[in-house]
Amino acid sequence: MAELRCEQIFASYGHGDVLSGIDLVVPEGTLTAILGASGSGKTTLLRVIMGFIAQQHGTVMVGETLVARAGGAHFPPEKRSIGYVAQEGALYPHLSVAENVSFGLPRRERKTSARASEVLNLVGLGSRYAARRPHELSGGEQRRVALARALAPRPPLVVLDEPFSGLDAALRVETRAAVLHALHAQGTTAVLVTHDQAEALSIGHEVGLLMEGRLIQTAAPTVLYRTPASLDVARFVGEAVVLPGRADAGVVSCPLGELPLINRDIQGLVQTMVRPEQIQIRRPFAGESTHLARRAGVTARVGTLTFYGPDSVVQLELDGLPAPINARVLGYDVPEPGEHVELTVGGEVMAYLTAAKGSLTGHRVGLPQTHRLPR
Amino acid sequence: MKRARGARLPQGLLLVSAAIAVLVGLPVVITVVQAFQGGALAAKAAITASATPTLFLHTVELAALVTPACGALGLGTAWVVERTSVPGRRVWPLLLVAPLVVPLFVTSYAWATLSSSLTGFWGAAGIVTFSYYPIVFLLVAASLRVIDPALEETARSLGLGPWRTFGRVVLPQLRPALLGGMLLVLLDTLVEFDAFVALKFQTLSVNVYSQYQLGFSPAGAAALSLFSTLTCVVVLFGEYRLRRGVNYTRISHGARRGVVRYRLGRAMPLALAALGLLVTVSLGIPLGLLVHWFAQGTRTAGAPAGADGVWPATLTTVLLGAASAVVAVLLALPVAILAVRRSGWLATAIERSVYLSFALPDLVAAIALAYGATHVVHFLYGTVVLLVLAEAMLFVPFAVVALRGTIGLIEPSLEDSGRALGLGPLRTLCRVTVPLARPGLAAAGVLVFAFVLGDLSTAQVLLPPGLNTLGTQFWADSGTVAFAAAAPYAAVLIVLALLATYVLMSRFGRVRGLSER
Repeated sequence: MAELRCEQIFASYGHGDVLSGIDLVVPEGTLTAILGASGSGKTTLLRVIMGFIAQQHGTVMVGETLVARAGGAHFPPEKRSIGYVAQEGALYPHLSVAENVSFGLPRRERKTSARASEVLNLVGLGSRYAARRPHELSGGEQRRVALARALAPRPPLVVLDEPFSGLDAALRVETRAAVLHALHAQGTTAVLVTHDQAEALSIGHEVGLLMEGRLIQTAAPTVLYRTPASLDVARFVGEAVVLPGRADAGVVSCPLGELPLINRDIQGLVQTMVRPEQIQIRRPFAGESTHLARRAGVTARVGTLTFYGPDSVVQLELDGLPAPINARVLGYDVPEPGEHVELTVGGEVMAYLTAAKGSLTGHRVGLPQTHRLPR
Repeated sequence: MKRARGARLPQGLLLVSAAIAVLVGLPVVITVVQAFQGGALAAKAAITASATPTLFLHTVELAALVTPACGALGLGTAWVVERTSVPGRRVWPLLLVAPLVVPLFVTSYAWATLSSSLTGFWGAAGIVTFSYYPIVFLLVAASLRVIDPALEETARSLGLGPWRTFGRVVLPQLRPALLGGMLLVLLDTLVEFDAFVALKFQTLSVNVYSQYQLGFSPAGAAALSLFSTLTCVVVLFGEYRLRRGVNYTRISHGARRGVVRYRLGRAMPLALAALGLLVTVSLGIPLGLLVHWFAQGTRTAGAPAGADGVWPATLTTVLLGAASAVVAVLLALPVAILAVRRSGWLATAIERSVYLSFALPDLVAAIALAYGATHVVHFLYGTVVLLVLAEAMLFVPFAVVALRGTIGLIEPSLEDSGRALGLGPLRTLCRVTVPLARPGLAAAGVLVFAFVLGDLSTAQVLLPPGLNTLGTQFWADSGTVAFAAAAPYAAVLIVLALLATYVLMSRFGRVRGLSER
């Protein structure tokens, strides 16, 4: 139950910065997911917060306490009161579940297992688990015990390192629900690190996107997904269809037609970013000739098709486009490969100024004011 | 995750391992037969001799002091080298392990030469402690390298400082390695003889040796050594009780990253001084003796006398060491695989029974083998084959320990994949397990090689006439106080031992393709 505030964190292992100027605020009682590819520096950030490594520059504050300032105070991990859930749980193999959970409690409380069974219940494991050994637990149960152990001393802040990695889909959903419930019940502030986009978007009150040691964008999941700060961000948080276009007066004209813009101020040659699920397909009525359909608006020929059950990804070949684009359509009405279909786009789209290749800054123009920008 | 173990392994492995266990236990059986062949009365006379209780007490006191001392030294040095920012982390392991492979009789002479006050109990305890603590160091350091750093980090996040983290998390994880190392030290101390050759300190094995030298009945010597057999069995059983439920299953692999080392800060000079002192005592004293002898030799005569015997003795020693190492590794491999991959009382019993190699003083075991050979397989008697087999059997427990560490790191799923790809158990062993375990095989072989270099008793009994090893030559020359003549043999021995240490340290407890740090 404390705010986490990181300011201007720089960290390196001697060869170039792994973290370059991280500013992160996690409001009291909320969960922020840090999303990043492997090597983006997310584990380093987490280890700086925990105090396992010292940053070269910047400060870390938990609530009102300054726990680390580069060149100044550096609280060792045990003095920070930050709960830690390691990858795969890291349960102590020489201790039972109850002993694991009560590990961080004062000796007096360790004897009476009241708190241990309380937190075990909190994570959805009954006290019948108390006497078991870690190797007798499933992967999901191990993660829950690890969280219970971290929560037992009632830390104001908990840090979770890829807590659901290696679990299968169903177990992932179940474990995630149990973890969220427990964190919410304790009112604990939490930072979770993951490389899984869907996980970050579905679990965090806010999601911070970390790329090459920089927090590129920190925002609510819907904001991050709908209005990514750059094309790179757009592509990282989900699938993106990117088309050339020209923006003017809040509208972009591109191969998918005239589309309304979210960032209305943008002008000139742009890259248009459309999410595949925004592209809607209309199949021609029986008897309606292809010729007619073609006249009606934007048409495309259906290429390959990948069926997932609830939905499908349809590859569409458009005249004048060098490569096919993907659309995500609902699974109950999928077109046939080779069929000609009519396309419309739902909702508004984002556009980014066309700039020199590889330059991140070029895409950033015309952002809505809600974004926190990196330095 | 818990694995169902047992059914997948072929019965062949069990049979081969059981046969090896029987082979290693053979000298014990022969000795028992020998002891009672001279009649129960002769055995009784040897056992009830007035000196026996004192000798037994000496042996036990020595072991009681040496074992915890080696445990503490091995644990402390391993932790400092593996977990702190002490400078010279690549050099210290070499310097710390080298004393183990320096022949004990050389160390013994060195201590005796240093001061006559070191020829009693304290000298004996010192020699054994400073020569055997590397066993604990090796095992604990290898174990420290594979502990998931997240276990410690979690403890820190739960409010434990470095010391309490060590006590409540690291130490329990190290328990199998620590106990295993201390067991080897304890068993070896109980039957140690070579270390005391230059001392006036009497233990059971020293007494057995003098009985043999004086031409006393072999039955008497055999009867006396039944004490050590009994002690060995009791210790093995006790250790088994102690480590029950201690073989922790590694449940998570965590992130494979290097550990964060503790900064020593102001304790740095202290740590360096402690390590330096330890190395000076354990390695400096035997090396110093060597320099002293050489200096003496050049002062009295131009070149050390008898130096022409060095080359043939070196060749014999190296070939003997290499052959024994290969045989010991071949014997150890099935037992180590069985110990790692299979649980249950039978596998445990087989693994433990190779420790029966420590049940007899080396000399008695060698005599038993010679006795057995003359009575049953006469063509083997007086051949190098018997000597190689004897040396291999003597040091097979060390090979098992070295291999067990490496094989334990190999994911069983790699072997399962081999089976799934159509390989039989034996071909899986040859194409998957052995190639992966190659560093461990090399480490085990080199360890045995180094021990054979330093062996005296077995070679003295079983060496075919006309052959000399560096050890027996050194012994012969130093026995006639021809120290300058003995020096070249000791020098070659120590150089070989240090080379072996280098190979050992680059391979112990590692798996191919699994890099650390």
